Amino acid sequence: MADKIKLLICDDEVKFLESIAERLELRGFDVTKATSGKDAVEAARTGGFDLAILDLKMPGMNGIEVLEILKKEHKYLEVIILTGHGSIDSAVESTKLGAFSYLSKPYDLDDLLKSLKDAYETRMKKKFEDDTERMDEILKMAQSMSPLGFLREVKKLDDEEK
Amino acid sequence: MVAKSGKNTDSLAESLPFNRDHYKDLKRKQIIRLLLFYLGPLIVLIIFFSIQYNALVSESRRLHLTAIAENQSNTLNLFLSERIVNLDNLIDDPRFQHPPTSSNLQIYLERLKMNSQSFIDIGYFDSSGIQTAYAGPYPSLEKVDYSSEDWFQRLREGEKRFIITDIYLGFRQIPHFTIAVSRNIGSEEIVLRASLDPGNIYEYMRSLEGANEVFISIVNEDGYYQLVTPHIGTPLETSSIVPPQNPRLGAENVKIEGSRITYAYSWLRLADWALIVQPSDDEKQEFFSGFNLRIYIIAASMIILIILVIAFRANKLVEMQMETDRTRAQLEHASKLASVGELAAGIAHEINNPLAIINEEAGLIKDYMDPEFGESMDPERLKEHLNSIQSSVFRCRDITHKLLRFVRKSDVELKTHNINEIIDGVVDGLLVREMRVSNIEIEKKYSSDIPPVMTDSNQLQQVILNIINNGVDALEGQAGQISISTGMNNNKVRISINDTGKGIKPEDMEKLFIPFYTTKEVGKGTGLGLSVSYGIIKSLGGEIKVDSTVGKGSEFTIILPLKPG
Repeated sequence: MADKIKLLICDDEVKFLESIAERLELRGFDVTKATSGKDAVEAARTGGFDLAILDLKMPGMNGIEVLEILKKEHKYLEVIILTGHGSIDSAVESTKLGAFSYLSKPYDLDDLLKSLKDAYETRMKKKFEDDTERMDEILKMAQSMSPLGFLREVKKLDDEEK
Repeated sequence: MVAKSGKNTDSLAESLPFNRDHYKDLKRKQIIRLLLFYLGPLIVLIIFFSIQYNALVSESRRLHLTAIAENQSNTLNLFLSERIVNLDNLIDDPRFQHPPTSSNLQIYLERLKMNSQSFIDIGYFDSSGIQTAYAGPYPSLEKVDYSSEDWFQRLREGEKRFIITDIYLGFRQIPHFTIAVSRNIGSEEIVLRASLDPGNIYEYMRSLEGANEVFISIVNEDGYYQLVTPHIGTPLETSSIVPPQNPRLGAENVKIEGSRITYAYSWLRLADWALIVQPSDDEKQEFFSGFNLRIYIIAASMIILIILVIAFRANKLVEMQMETDRTRAQLEHASKLASVGELAAGIAHEINNPLAIINEEAGLIKDYMDPEFGESMDPERLKEHLNSIQSSVFRCRDITHKLLRFVRKSDVELKTHNINEIIDGVVDGLLVREMRVSNIEIEKKYSSDIPPVMTDSNQLQQVILNIINNGVDALEGQAGQISISTGMNNNKVRISINDTGKGIKPEDMEKLFIPFYTTKEVGKGTGLGLSVSYGIIKSLGGEIKVDSTVGKGSEFTIILPLKPG
């Protein structure tokens, strides 16, 4: 892997946050830490993360709210919920909101790593599919349009993606 | 720990919040209260009727005695007037010879004796007061000068033509009395005298109707017995009873030798004598006999019956109280377990966080020891991570300790406590993190001048926890505030717990303290919290008040005395 997977971790428990970050860094992730939901949302806007790990119960904005915002603002960002307050209700709710998986604290690192791997693959697959779709569209356009009109359309698509 | 909780479960069926002495005391108080309630009026009634009855009896006895006295005095008056008439007839008889000879008088005496056996002798006096003629058993009295005798002078000076003397011994030294009549014959004022035997009169009076139930005596104006039954006195001695002069007929009460005696009297018309009638000893004893005795027997058996019923009832009541207390204690324990159950979920989560840290730190240390990563950790950092593991372990221990404190079923334990500290034990211990993640702000407004309170901290904490839990539930996941304030109200401690939750609907308000009534979703609440809280606060001698506005929040106020009971 040439580029490290960019990962955002949000938890209000600082000691936990630091340890998990360090462990994942050891395993080759590029980790950014956020101690509150608000920080996480702000960091995500500039960080260009591939994956995020969220705690549910946090003072201020809780994990569900953060999840909702992240999924809305970042199309390909996959979110893993990691909570000490596991309940079926919150699991169902976060899945509905598009969380990739839901893990309970204390967790098994292997499970988390597998989840992260799967999430990254899903993200890449989605992105690839979307890209392929786009390529098809572009090809179709290329066949039907004049070269100048085609370039204009491609620029429009690029803008849309941004 | 396991053995202990096992024992607690076993003792649950027999668990009473108070010891045996409490119930003995309760029973004693109950018996006294019931006795006063039932026996008080009964005894008052018995005393009232007894007094009424005795007043009635005493009044009727007075009337009865008065009637006897009147009857007897009439008879005595009649007797005396007959004797006077006997003498009048004799002296006014045209055949009476003035002055008579003693043998003449002997014939007249025989004639008088035919009228009454009580005549003893007769005598005839000339103006000078010398007994010129005499007939009777004491011939030596002939020629005796009576002019200085008291009765003789009174007859001469008085307006009446006759006189009846008191009983006296006279010249002959034998009790007798004298009836004398005076007449003017020519220039001479002569007197005819007869002495009579009082014993004869006494016998006569004894024979009258009603005389055998009473003692009859006759006293003169100076209070000397004239005639008396041997049971109560001797003739010519001082009488213990001296009747008033007015009215001439009546009944009186006197105290003689410590006992109250009712007597009736009647002053005679012809002599200065009062006839006294008093009940014989038999009648004096009557208080504890007859009707009175029957009343006392009935009253006594009623009282015994009532006492038995009351003792039985009190037993029953105390047993019922024990049963109620036992049920409540069980309910309390059940609710404690239930609220602990509710808490358990939250607490498990609380424990998960430190566990996650431990897991993380251990994992990290392992990672550094793993040659795969090719990194190593310097001892200072290793120590840091181990410390973090330890502090997380302590966090878990604190949580489990606090949990156990609530699960442990303890008997009522009264000690003096600082109320603010008791509340802090709940708020700072178990709830603070729970609140923080739920965006609930806890505000404390404690008054610092609350004296120490004698109470059961464990039970009180359970109540406060219950109310705060309800407050948290009332916020329904929204951010809000729970404020706890303490203070003094009329020498009682006040604990107010306010929440900014949804409030209580008026229709739920009246069912608030009913066991198993809950507005929470199925599985979320047992409906026991407030009912048990209510029971606990009552048993601690206090009260719980609720004030709530729908949409604004609720306020629960606990009022506790400085000492329960």
